[in-house]
Amino acid sequence: MISGFREGSLVGIEGDLATAMESLRRLADVVAVAVARRDGLIIAHILPKSSDPKKVAAMCAALVGTSELAARELNQGRFLQSIVEAEEGKVISTGAGERALLVTIVRPDASMGLVLLSIERAAKEVEVILSGI
Amino acid sequence: MGRARTGLQILDSWLGGGFEKPSTILFFSDHPTERRLFAEQFVTTGLKEGERCLYVDFYRAPALARRDLRKFGPFPEDRLVFVDGTSSQLLIPSSERYIVHSLDTFDEIMDTIEGAVRDAKPERIVIDSMEFLADRFSSEGLFERWRKLSEVTKSTGSVVCYMFLNWLYGQKEVRRMDESNDYTVEFQSKVRTGILEHYMRIRDHRPGKRATNWIPLTFREVVGLSVYFPRILVTGPPDAGKSTVVQKLCQSAMSVDQLGTTVAFDYGNVHVSGLEAEIFGTPGQERFEFIFQIFARQVNGVLLVVDSTREEDLPRAKQILKIVGSDVPLVILANKVDLGGAMGPERIRESLSLAPTVPVVPTVATEGKGLLEGLTLLAEQLVGAR
Repeated sequence: MISGFREGSLVGIEGDLATAMESLRRLADVVAVAVARRDGLIIAHILPKSSDPKKVAAMCAALVGTSELAARELNQGRFLQSIVEAEEGKVISTGAGERALLVTIVRPDASMGLVLLSIERAAKEVEVILSGI
Repeated sequence: MGRARTGLQILDSWLGGGFEKPSTILFFSDHPTERRLFAEQFVTTGLKEGERCLYVDFYRAPALARRDLRKFGPFPEDRLVFVDGTSSQLLIPSSERYIVHSLDTFDEIMDTIEGAVRDAKPERIVIDSMEFLADRFSSEGLFERWRKLSEVTKSTGSVVCYMFLNWLYGQKEVRRMDESNDYTVEFQSKVRTGILEHYMRIRDHRPGKRATNWIPLTFREVVGLSVYFPRILVTGPPDAGKSTVVQKLCQSAMSVDQLGTTVAFDYGNVHVSGLEAEIFGTPGQERFEFIFQIFARQVNGVLLVVDSTREEDLPRAKQILKIVGSDVPLVILANKVDLGGAMGPERIRESLSLAPTVPVVPTVATEGKGLLEGLTLLAEQLVGAR
């Protein structure tokens, strides 16, 4: 599903995004993946039926926005990633270019080294795909 | 007759310019509070305006009291006169013009104070405090001489503040104190979730009796006391100008925004003429309603911003008002009135089905126009003036 961006070859982008998300989703520790605009609109997602993609996008946009500002206000340099650790999993929000976010939900005991590397690679892919629009 | 300003604009406007001259004010509390700060603020405000002030102090040496008063910023020191009520207790010499030489006889103490009032003819007087005397002398004699002192202060045109921390009188005496003064200023301090909060309210006993709500206060050195609202919410439909309102109203605001949309909140602190407030701006988009729910808790008041050129946004504004609830003080900022085709305040009032008491203020947030007026109108509601 695609929304928000205006022009370009949408079908191709939709497919490319799906591929990028799917390769991340294939990791055993990854439960769900979504791509959202930084202002909180959903672009594409592989989320379980129980979660509302619109809410996920808005919440992660708020998290990233707040984390970015916190990093700046507390003199911690450029924002890289926000990780919310909860009892039943982690929500990792990563910048994918200037306008988008990659949201990844992983299991609580996930092997973070592999997960974070894969997220980094996927975020770059998403950035490249969306820069075409 | 003139008015004795408190230095807190919002209170002064409630008081019609300040406490009437002459008048008597009871500074009352049931528990130890920050009431002395208000008395000190009252004295230093007078001094800064060139008035003469008399401070009767039984607790602090005058040098110590002067140092405390300087926390409110510089003032002409020669206009401040003390009745020194501590040196004789400490058996040390005093160089003050008026000295209570012995605390043994009540009448002698009161003669000294009355003499100082007649001699110095101060515009403002603080008696710090009546409970010091009430502890030592019987209430009948005390009330009688208290009344006489008030006659003297009225004859000199003074405004006098009687500080009274009540730990020994019952309701009857308290009512008698209320009745024999023109105003009562009450103080309360509460600990709420680990934060000490200070409140005051003013009751005017003169004909047409009225009272303010409990008003939260905060203190900063040099600035003095301010009326303090810990949470004012700026909300409204998308693109109404909420973030601009927060940024123009506050000296240094921060906004969590992405691609021109607020995704979390705006925050800023505003401090103007005796009024301080923490301002929180919410996102306008419906998808950020969860943020709204976080910030809409325990708000003191709401500034609802609407784009005056977009009638189609008013249903969303109405929906937001519903979430906010009807018991929260509210001011509508009719923004972007400088643009063509702006709706008039009455049209907005009608569309939002507002009560006639809710002010609709035309604003141009980008230029800061109308914003302080809106905040002041909100503060007046909070204080209880409207």
